[in-house]
Amino acid sequence: MQRRIAHLDMDAFFASVELLTYPELSGLPVAVGGRSVPQPTRQANGSWQFMRLGEYTGRGVLTTATYEGRALGIHSGMGVMQAARLAPNAILLPASFDAYRQASQRFKAAVASITPQFEDHGIDEIYIDLTDLDSDTESNTLALVHRIKTAVNKATRLTCSVGVAPNKLLAKICSDLDKPDGITLLTMDDVASQLWPLPARKINGIGPRAGEKLAALGIQTIGELARAEPIFLQQHFGRSYGHWLLEAAHGRDNREIVTHREPKSTSRETTFERDLHPRDDKAQLGEIFTALCNRVADDLNKKGYVGRTIGIKLRYADFSTITRDVTLPEATANAQTIRRAAGECLRRVPLEQRLRLIGVRVGSLTTPQEDIATQGQLPLA
Amino acid sequence: MLLYKGLRDQLLSPLQSVCGIVEKRHTLPILSNVLIEKNGENLTLLATDIEVQITTQSKTTGAEKIAITVGARKLQDILRSLPEAAEVSLTLTDKRLQLKAGKGRFNLQTLPAEDFPRMVITDDQPTRFSVTQKQLKKLLALVQYAMAQQDIRYYLNGLLLITKGNELRVVTTDGHRLAYAMGLLSDTPSPIEVILPRKTVLELSRQLVDSEDLVEIILTPSQARFKFNNIEFISKLIDGKFPDYERVIPQHHGKIIKLSRSQLIQALQRVAILTNEKFRGVRLLLDAGSLKIISNNAEQEEAQEEIEIDYSGELLDVGFNVTYLLDILNNVSEETIELHLADANSSALFILPGNENFKYVVMPMRI
Repeated sequence: MQRRIAHLDMDAFFASVELLTYPELSGLPVAVGGRSVPQPTRQANGSWQFMRLGEYTGRGVLTTATYEGRALGIHSGMGVMQAARLAPNAILLPASFDAYRQASQRFKAAVASITPQFEDHGIDEIYIDLTDLDSDTESNTLALVHRIKTAVNKATRLTCSVGVAPNKLLAKICSDLDKPDGITLLTMDDVASQLWPLPARKINGIGPRAGEKLAALGIQTIGELARAEPIFLQQHFGRSYGHWLLEAAHGRDNREIVTHREPKSTSRETTFERDLHPRDDKAQLGEIFTALCNRVADDLNKKGYVGRTIGIKLRYADFSTITRDVTLPEATANAQTIRRAAGECLRRVPLEQRLRLIGVRVGSLTTPQEDIATQGQLPLA
Repeated sequence: MLLYKGLRDQLLSPLQSVCGIVEKRHTLPILSNVLIEKNGENLTLLATDIEVQITTQSKTTGAEKIAITVGARKLQDILRSLPEAAEVSLTLTDKRLQLKAGKGRFNLQTLPAEDFPRMVITDDQPTRFSVTQKQLKKLLALVQYAMAQQDIRYYLNGLLLITKGNELRVVTTDGHRLAYAMGLLSDTPSPIEVILPRKTVLELSRQLVDSEDLVEIILTPSQARFKFNNIEFISKLIDGKFPDYERVIPQHHGKIIKLSRSQLIQALQRVAILTNEKFRGVRLLLDAGSLKIISNNAEQEEAQEEIEIDYSGELLDVGFNVTYLLDILNNVSEETIELHLADANSSALFILPGNENFKYVVMPMRI
């Protein structure tokens, strides 16, 4: 059966989240990034005072730019000083990662309310499997994508672009074809007309280096790549990558949507209302510590995992952070065992300074069934 | 004030000896520094992580007495990137340490020497003896791979060092396998048992060389000291009860085979490719005249190797973690090794034929 995979990509994500805070910047070239860029300051008349790119001195790169900024030639990954030469009057904002993460969680939750069949692919993009949803005709697909886009917009006040295609590779290329706020549908029949005129670098997996090498071999577009001899590609790019290049150029990709990854560890941490002293606040700390162990144990039991590595994390009042781990002879999800092991870790850290955060982590997770297999190793008597 | 003037290597080599234990991230910032102490012509470098401290002695010029601490890694990186034959000087001016080499100038920030934590030497009931560097290096190499790492049984994260009569014994175990080695001493020190921390063992082993020069060892109930060349290690000990190793070493296993070490390593390495990544189990199938080594993985792929052996006893089918087998084979140098087995639930014993001074015990896996 033909699959229908959507790639949803938030439009200029970081910059758009910033525009929610500073709506007056909408329509202006805005860049985010740099090191120690000051927060905008509120002036007496209520308006914001922003830093201009041209005023920035120092190192660092841009994390993103609005579409108006991109029109001036500035883009993510570009050195701030270089960007300043191209667009000295563009506004420069410091990155606010907490806000991006929150917006990311909100848009993913909005999609999850429509279907659980999606794959996380970083902070601002996801793949969604529409195959089993009501999307058998083009109009149904469009209606479904509109529903998703509306849900995302309602949750975040942000726009996104969506590409729908028979696989992840094509969907990813598609979502980029009509930005911002676009929808692009593509079938295998459109590959020659829509895909082949595009530059080869548009394929996710052909990076700058491979792109350069292809260009040197006289291959600029995806169409030229599709017409290349398999042997020729394999000679220049190795067997597996050469094979993949050709498959990709023909729009073939069988990768599944991975909706769930096996967790490697689970942890709980808490930042205190006020910094606590290991001696003076011993009782309170002890309670919090035990509660964290209990919560980690609950998490493990709910998910059905056991773990062998127990670790703690402490952040001191001066923000310095340390971690300590111990390994248990057998995996556990038992709160007391975790508490005892975490207590062992605690004996190995300096406890003179006040603490602002404490965390407990259980790693090297397996299922109890798998752990019986590790227990196949007999202990020395 | 001039601290040092001379060749790059005469500063770099003692610095490298002390810097191996410096922790990248420590809650006490000064511990990422090295203490440089000039007392007339004597130059002392010292680094510590509170558990273990290393000191080196070397020579400089001038009569001044100066002591200062400076970032160990940065100093090491600068020296390392200079040409080998470079002349360098270290000068302290206004709490800054300036390193000059040719036309290069490097100004490093310092912290006062008074703030640097030094370990206090404890000299109650010391056990003193000496061994050659070569002998100690060999003993450590025979057992160090079997130490536990970050185990909650903290006494396993180290090496048990024992003097008994004129014997120096070293033992390590991680609860699944145990390595034991013994060397003879030229004298009979007072008997003592201590557990050296894992980090001390690894660093000591890294710095010892294959020479006949002596290592002077001083052990007290709370501290171990090792002096060799111009280096001194002072290490805390792990306070705990090490398992009874003698009880673990089997005495009367009936199925005995002699094997070529290199042949066995190669067979195990090939078979290991198709073991389950997590459990790394291989089956040893002992039969008249042959030892088969078999593995399979979750994808149902299988590997089998066969080695001819001189054996006519009963059949035995027993599983092991292949890593535990390769560990011992890669850390002994003798070409022939002897494997003693009993049944699928009992430990296996590896020895070197005609040599009572080394034993390696490994428990099977149920496969």
